[in-house]
Amino acid sequence: MDSTAAASSAASESGLDIHHSIGALTRQLHDALQALGLTDKFRGLAGELPDAQDRLSYISRLTGEAAEKVLNRVDMAKADHDQVLTASQVLSQRLLAGGAGAPSTTELLSFLAGIEASTRQADAHLTEIMMAQDFHDLTGQVIAKVVRLAANMEEQLVQLLIQTAPADAPTKTPAPANNPAAPYEPALSGPTINPLGNPDVVSGQSEVDDLLASLGF
Amino acid sequence: MASALRFLVVDDFSTMRRIVRNLLKEIGYADSEEAEDGVVALQKLQGGQFDFVISDINMPNMNGFQLLGEIQKIDKLKRLPVLMVTAEARKEDIVLAAQKGAAGFIVKPFTKATLEDKLNLIMTKYGMKPAT
Repeated sequence: MDSTAAASSAASESGLDIHHSIGALTRQLHDALQALGLTDKFRGLAGELPDAQDRLSYISRLTGEAAEKVLNRVDMAKADHDQVLTASQVLSQRLLAGGAGAPSTTELLSFLAGIEASTRQADAHLTEIMMAQDFHDLTGQVIAKVVRLAANMEEQLVQLLIQTAPADAPTKTPAPANNPAAPYEPALSGPTINPLGNPDVVSGQSEVDDLLASLGF
Repeated sequence: MASALRFLVVDDFSTMRRIVRNLLKEIGYADSEEAEDGVVALQKLQGGQFDFVISDINMPNMNGFQLLGEIQKIDKLKRLPVLMVTAEARKEDIVLAAQKGAAGFIVKPFTKATLEDKLNLIMTKYGMKPAT
């Protein structure tokens, strides 16, 4: 074998290696999407890849904030309950002991007022804990977009695989999903990941109210 | 005082439906039902008596804009106040909702106070008695 033929053979093997790597990556992505029941259903989404990192960061931030909010409220509620428990134990002991140390009506009324305030506070904590769960809706919409993006990447890899296949390499496109039911693809934009500096979106309720008021609604 | 008004809460996320219904109960509106998209909502609205609709926009099968449009086409429903509660933050979507007849627009995430304020405003505008 002369040197030109050897170089040509090496280049051909290298091309096949790259081709096999892309094929393996495509298959892996395809299998992952198939496991999610989402193969071959997403089209025309090129150009969104740079956005994926922002979206994942948004999910991370929102879930982190929600966890933080819940834990803070739990801490506050526990502190409130500890106070009520201690106060009620002291009061019980004084009532049982009787005599001069027994609590007066004023003290009992004050204790009951404290219980009422604490109960209202506990209710407020529970409401905040409930509201913190809204991250499920917001992140769910963003996750749907990222999944769609991954599916599009698979599609592009398949196309790349077909286009770059050496003449003698057997090519086979991934089989369509067994479940043909189309997944839900949000048609609208969904939550805004980076509202700052974007004049087309609002960053909060006050901007919504201002916009509608300016238009006479 | 608790109100007898009946609400329909429309959202494709069950978590959000539960949150909104719980908030309504806290505010004083204990009577509410839920629907997971515009199609189910429309069926419920046509089959029952409701005083107020709170709807998401981005939903499968029939989105909030389409639901608004359908409500406007039906004589017995077109005076029904519809408050949009949604993550859609594009100005054009907000304006579109208002043009299509939405009574109000709340952007997620929101607070109990925001929901209560909007309900009070809309009810006053529609001649309804808010819970106190």
